[in-house]
Amino acid sequence: MEPSLGPTQAQLDSCVTCGLCLPHCPTFRLTGDEAASPRGRLMAMGAITQGTIAPDEVYAGMLSFCLQCRACEAACPSFVPFGQMMEGARARLAEVRPTTTGRVRRLLVGKLLNMKWLLALVTSGVGLVQRVGIMRLLPRRMRLARGLRRQRVFPHSAVGVHDLAPAVPAGSVALLAGCVMDQWFPAVHDATRGVLSMGGFKVDSPETQRCCGALAAHEGAERDAARMAERNVAAFQGYDYIVSDAAGCSAHLKDYGHWVEGGESVATRTRDITEFVAELIDSGQLPEVKGNGDEVAIHDPCHLRHAQRIFDAPRKIVRAAGYTPVEIDPDGLCCGAAGLYMVYEPDTAEALGEAKREQVESAGPTTVVSANPGCEIQLRAHLGRGYRVLHPIELYWEALNR
Amino acid sequence: MTVLKAELTRLAKGMLADPVPGAPPVDLTVAPSQVEDAAAILRFASTVGLRVLFWGGGTHQGIGNAVAPDVVMTTHGLDRIVDWQAEDLTIVVEAGVTVSALEAQLQQRGQTAVLPETPAGATVGGVAAAGLSGWRRLRYGPTRDRVLEVVLATGDGRAVTGGGRLVKNVTGYDLPRLATGSLGSLGLIARLCLKLWPLAAHQGMVHVSDPEAALRTAYRPLAVIETNEGSIVYLAGTLAELEAQAERLGGRLASGHRWPEPLAGPWEFVLRVPAGATGRFVDEIRRNGWAFQAAHGVGEVRLVVDSGDDERLAGLREEAETLGGTLVVFNSPARGVLDPWGAAPGSADLQRRVKAAFDPVGIANPGILPGGI
Amino acid sequence: MALVDDLRSTLGSDRVHSHPLELLVYDKDAGVTRGEAVAVVLPETTQEVAACVRIAASHGVPVVARGAGTGLAGGSVPAEPALLVVLTRLNEIWEIDEYARTAWVGAGVLNLDLSRATEHLGLHYAPDPSSQAACTVGGNVGTNAGGPHCLAEGTTVAHILGVEFVTSDGDVVMLGSKAPDPPGLDLRGVVVGSEGTLGIVTKVLVKLTENPPAVRTLLLTFDSIQAAAATVSGVIAAGIVPAALEMMDQPMVVAVEGFIGAGLPVEAAAVLLAELVGLEEGVVAEASVVERIANEAGATSVRVAADDAERAVLWKARKNAFGAVAQAAPDYYLHDTVVPRTKLAEVMTEIYEIGRRNNIQMLNVFHAGDGNLHPLVAYDAREPGMSEKVRAAAEEMVRVSVAAGGSLTGEHGVGLEKRELMGLVFEPIDLDAQARLREAFDPHGRMNPGKVLPTGARCFDFDLAGKKEVSP
Repeated sequence: MEPSLGPTQAQLDSCVTCGLCLPHCPTFRLTGDEAASPRGRLMAMGAITQGTIAPDEVYAGMLSFCLQCRACEAACPSFVPFGQMMEGARARLAEVRPTTTGRVRRLLVGKLLNMKWLLALVTSGVGLVQRVGIMRLLPRRMRLARGLRRQRVFPHSAVGVHDLAPAVPAGSVALLAGCVMDQWFPAVHDATRGVLSMGGFKVDSPETQRCCGALAAHEGAERDAARMAERNVAAFQGYDYIVSDAAGCSAHLKDYGHWVEGGESVATRTRDITEFVAELIDSGQLPEVKGNGDEVAIHDPCHLRHAQRIFDAPRKIVRAAGYTPVEIDPDGLCCGAAGLYMVYEPDTAEALGEAKREQVESAGPTTVVSANPGCEIQLRAHLGRGYRVLHPIELYWEALNR
Repeated sequence: MTVLKAELTRLAKGMLADPVPGAPPVDLTVAPSQVEDAAAILRFASTVGLRVLFWGGGTHQGIGNAVAPDVVMTTHGLDRIVDWQAEDLTIVVEAGVTVSALEAQLQQRGQTAVLPETPAGATVGGVAAAGLSGWRRLRYGPTRDRVLEVVLATGDGRAVTGGGRLVKNVTGYDLPRLATGSLGSLGLIARLCLKLWPLAAHQGMVHVSDPEAALRTAYRPLAVIETNEGSIVYLAGTLAELEAQAERLGGRLASGHRWPEPLAGPWEFVLRVPAGATGRFVDEIRRNGWAFQAAHGVGEVRLVVDSGDDERLAGLREEAETLGGTLVVFNSPARGVLDPWGAAPGSADLQRRVKAAFDPVGIANPGILPGGI
Repeated sequence: MALVDDLRSTLGSDRVHSHPLELLVYDKDAGVTRGEAVAVVLPETTQEVAACVRIAASHGVPVVARGAGTGLAGGSVPAEPALLVVLTRLNEIWEIDEYARTAWVGAGVLNLDLSRATEHLGLHYAPDPSSQAACTVGGNVGTNAGGPHCLAEGTTVAHILGVEFVTSDGDVVMLGSKAPDPPGLDLRGVVVGSEGTLGIVTKVLVKLTENPPAVRTLLLTFDSIQAAAATVSGVIAAGIVPAALEMMDQPMVVAVEGFIGAGLPVEAAAVLLAELVGLEEGVVAEASVVERIANEAGATSVRVAADDAERAVLWKARKNAFGAVAQAAPDYYLHDTVVPRTKLAEVMTEIYEIGRRNNIQMLNVFHAGDGNLHPLVAYDAREPGMSEKVRAAAEEMVRVSVAAGGSLTGEHGVGLEKRELMGLVFEPIDLDAQARLREAFDPHGRMNPGKVLPTGARCFDFDLAGKKEVSP
């Protein structure tokens, strides 16, 4: 099956240009420019699709300026599938107007991210550099490096682990290890495995799984993304649930239906760790821990709040860990990380990151939870010392072990 | 002049009226009873350049630069209530209907046009032309916001309708708001449609010591008025609401409901300042020993002074103007002592052009506005 | 030098668009008509706006101002090749005066952002058009925007104390003031709602309104539109002016419920959303009167929002209504007529009859409390003859409203859409007066030409002897 992304005429028609998406779009808020708004991007896609205007570097710039945060999608009363259309538009553009930078980016997210040895090498390198202490000499474009957790010089991977099953397992869970998640955030996986085991689940991280393909999809590396999806459909066969502790990945797994044959079966079994655990807390399968009620700021990753419409779950988990959740942003605007966006649109990422820093600072708490690795890196890079940034599942696991 | 007068007299047949007491001496006083008649006279006046002064009840003719008219046009003949849609809360009236007659009639069905508390004889058209609002402005907004439709006999003699008989309407330019407060500079407001409000079941007063604190404590009072005697919060609502409000204000609900007696003095002024600065100006006025009535939350202070060339007035005006406000002469025994308006607005050029769009020759209350417009 | 070069030398190249694709994304608002600009600029200060107006004038190019492009009447869509001045970047809140209850804001500030910025002071900006999360205060000033809560509070103009205004010559003047009733003509009142045809508003002095201590929101359901309309008329006639009184018919409720999932009654023929605000004591009393009137009119159920969260969901449902229409069909055509509230039931019956006779799909959601109707036709413009049929039906609806003593638009503005219908409500002499007023502001016809007034509004002249003369 060929991926069916669009933008199709029917999808384009589903926008009545009401403009209710505009305030939810971080790039529109930043620029005030319709060319940087979801509505403007859809109008541009329409003109290109219908062939009234030929795709050129202006169109390429308009597409590439989009964070793909999908906040517009959640705000759209007419259900325009913007994220999917943007992925499709980027793929179409890559076909008709290939550029060198585009090729490099697609190579990175389509191929290199799946080379474990390479990622491990990079991780070791980062770990060494962090120990030597020359991170702060990096240029602004590499600010994200300052947001990394302290890396191991000898990284380990969760791929292939099989946790012991409880006597009567509540079900089987395949943990999506992910690419950078697996290498750079092993503690999150540890917490996820611990919590799920405690909740009565048998947790595996199947050997044959690949990167979910979200980044490849976002970059328009359509065929690579489809291939990864295909591999994962096979790898995750037979499990009751597929759980990811990176919101960007769980969101993408839920989109598998229009990427690959059998993708719908993965999509329906996929749960983000936050929603899964929140349900277990609700049903009493996981306990609520008494704490001192310290305040914790909630950062909503776009692909959790907007793409998956998961809002209550991280708050519930924070409360169950004995803390008091504090809101930082009524609209849940993107922090500017947006996957690779922070690398290739550093100025915009910087502006959004600073706006997010101001929101966190005025909210008060010095502990911030974020259920997505990219956001965590961005938040740490902008908040600096004095702030603790972690995944809500880590906070909960910590509380359970206290 | 005699030829013109003869022609005008012919035109004004049936409209000629006796001179109005208090009006400047003129050769001709007309009292049209139809909008079209008023327009016809104005058209002729524009053709030959006769200056026309409009006259309602004559209660607020002291406002603005003096007009030296050739003709006085009164609205005595335009005194009908045209269409009262009580269930839609709107009413259409002619300009010469008096405020007191209209409000008395509306009250019978528990409604009000929220017109200002004016001396006897003041007309609806006059109040609209002068842009006057009453004490209840704090709760209901200015009169201007309730003028839904106007029929204007323009300076060059057209009968023009603007707005509509609807509580909500953005069809076309807002002539009703432009006409309200235009002091006859565009022509005669001959007929208007007003938005009405249901009268609250009860009204009450609470004496307070700190009007500014009271303003923040009370929810939507009718008015918070400070005078030389003290401060009163005027309330409206159900009895339960009034009692709850009085309790929150830390006072007792006084029986009866009386607005302050109008101030009388040789020189009457209205000071208009940003609402938040009212208290500051009241302090200064109090220090000067002048009689005053201040509407807190609105930014309007009425005051009377014995002499127009008191230099403290100039100081007060300057201070108000610095904040974007004004000190306007409302009534004075002698014109020319003090400019009635103060500094001309920055938009004077635009204002002149707008007047000319309705009164190109400049015969309708000529020069009455600031800057002699 | 060419227009674009002049603009670039003033604003820099980043904020001047002339590429076909960048112009295309600005060729419509939330309405149906399209019109392309020759260039789009994104100024950041009043002085930059004034400079753009002067540059355009020197090239003989007209100017159209635009906010967030959420208008529904094409007010910010160029009717002829023009420079589009986008004001979204004038988005600073300059001053909030807690005691005077006023704020100075840039024209590009979002309506809802203003209320959010004043929330901690217990104040809000009262006019709340359904697009309030997206629309700008400057755009609201342009259309004299309404919204559900304008029933008791009045539309935008009642909340605008002053504006900083760029004239058609590129001069900057202040109209209105922080003090009440500034002397002279109320040009502020004329500029509000003038749809950018008199000049450009760059900064706005707004009045803030205190948040009410108590709120009751009622959801009333009816098995006929007439019963709901009778309730509206009954409430107003009973001397209650609720904060808001909104109606949705069944097709609209179904579309909105699909998006929100607010538990709206999808089987009811009509629902009314009534909100009462004030002191707890008064609100309770008024709510019971509204409930009684509704029951007498045959309400099938009455639901009172239990808390702020439930109220927020009900309002979210109401405010997303237009956007949800695409679920029904790809295009919509919308009117904005106003009728006297005593004629509500009668006019609604006629409007449904027009829809039935023309066999078109219609959804209704409107500000019933002030008689402001929004019959909305959902259709597919690609169906041959459909657009014409829809327009004809829509015009019939307007005629019915006007015949009942109503008007063309209550809050969306005249724009491109309704200007040729202006003759239904105004005599030629009235339109001529409006055209003269416009000329006083803009003698050269530079500002948003082709909007508000119909072609030939300034079509005749009187000589002062009283003869009518038709000018060529």
